[in-house]
Amino acid sequence: MANVLEVKPDLAQAQCAEVGASKFCPGCGHGTILKTLAQVIDELNLNERAVFGCDIGCSLLSWNYMNIDTVQTHHGRTTPVIYGVTRANPGTVGIAYMGDGGGLAIGSQHLVNASVRGENMLILLANNTNYGMTGGQMSPTTMPGQVTETTPYGRDCSITGKPAKGAEMIAAIADPEKSYVARSTMGNVRGLKKVLKAALENVANGGFSFVEVLSVCPNNWRTNNIKTLERLKEMEEFFEVKEFITPAKKEEV
Amino acid sequence: MTMTKEDIKYTGIKVENVAKGKADWYLFNKLCKSCYLCVAKCPVKCLHPIEEPNKDNSELGLFETPVVKPDLEKCIGCGTCQMTCPDCAIKVQRK
Repeated sequence: MANVLEVKPDLAQAQCAEVGASKFCPGCGHGTILKTLAQVIDELNLNERAVFGCDIGCSLLSWNYMNIDTVQTHHGRTTPVIYGVTRANPGTVGIAYMGDGGGLAIGSQHLVNASVRGENMLILLANNTNYGMTGGQMSPTTMPGQVTETTPYGRDCSITGKPAKGAEMIAAIADPEKSYVARSTMGNVRGLKKVLKAALENVANGGFSFVEVLSVCPNNWRTNNIKTLERLKEMEEFFEVKEFITPAKKEEV
Repeated sequence: MTMTKEDIKYTGIKVENVAKGKADWYLFNKLCKSCYLCVAKCPVKCLHPIEEPNKDNSELGLFETPVVKPDLEKCIGCGTCQMTCPDCAIKVQRK
């Protein structure tokens, strides 16, 4: 028999303990991102105020991950549902969680309009450069030359165009007075935590935040542990990891 | 009745006194999915998948794949594996 341990895992208050292991594949980046998000919610004491919305795609498997109010929405419509919630109940901290398909493909209209209007919410976009749940097809963010199910010889940019860069796009159109726009990576958990903390603080003060997190998909990339992290390094070089707009720094100047 | 965090019992592996007695290392095998990201991220490369697991399932993870274990001599108790694990399966408790 396996021995029962006297200690408990290091779960945050905002994480649901009774469901046991999460529903994601082994090595999935969603686990790291959501774990860090839950820790940040605990640190900022937002457990009562936060509302979590998840999209269709792999990100919907987070429907029972968080121990806070959760709503599961239509594909790409997490953004309007969450800003509807925050408009109806001022003071709520809305978190819209989506993948690159839900945010930059089918949901890009809502993403653009929400960021132009500066809605009071956090949009958290996990970018793993393919459509994970349906078997790893090409997505808007697939890197040039990357092999996916629908680009078996590598993505050819002369036919399919260039990859979408979400954080740059939002930084160009968002209101610089009260927006926080950044790109982070799950390869650097401490950096991710810092970015999520700044983003949630901005939302709690009434601003708009957009964070794109570079994530991994070992199952559909068909990579082992070491090659997964090598691919993540390539992504960090292609997609620039930095803070694009920070409202707090402008106030100091 | 809903279960709380305190009611749930976790089974797993305990490695005592890693890093010259500075910490205890725990692994919860009902949470480990054997992705081995911790093996790739470990700064001193002391984590390894168990090559011949026990027959009583005590060294198998959620999907009945071998879990990892640190070398007692090499581990420095830094906690990188705990931070890397996407499923919170590892805990490094400093004394």
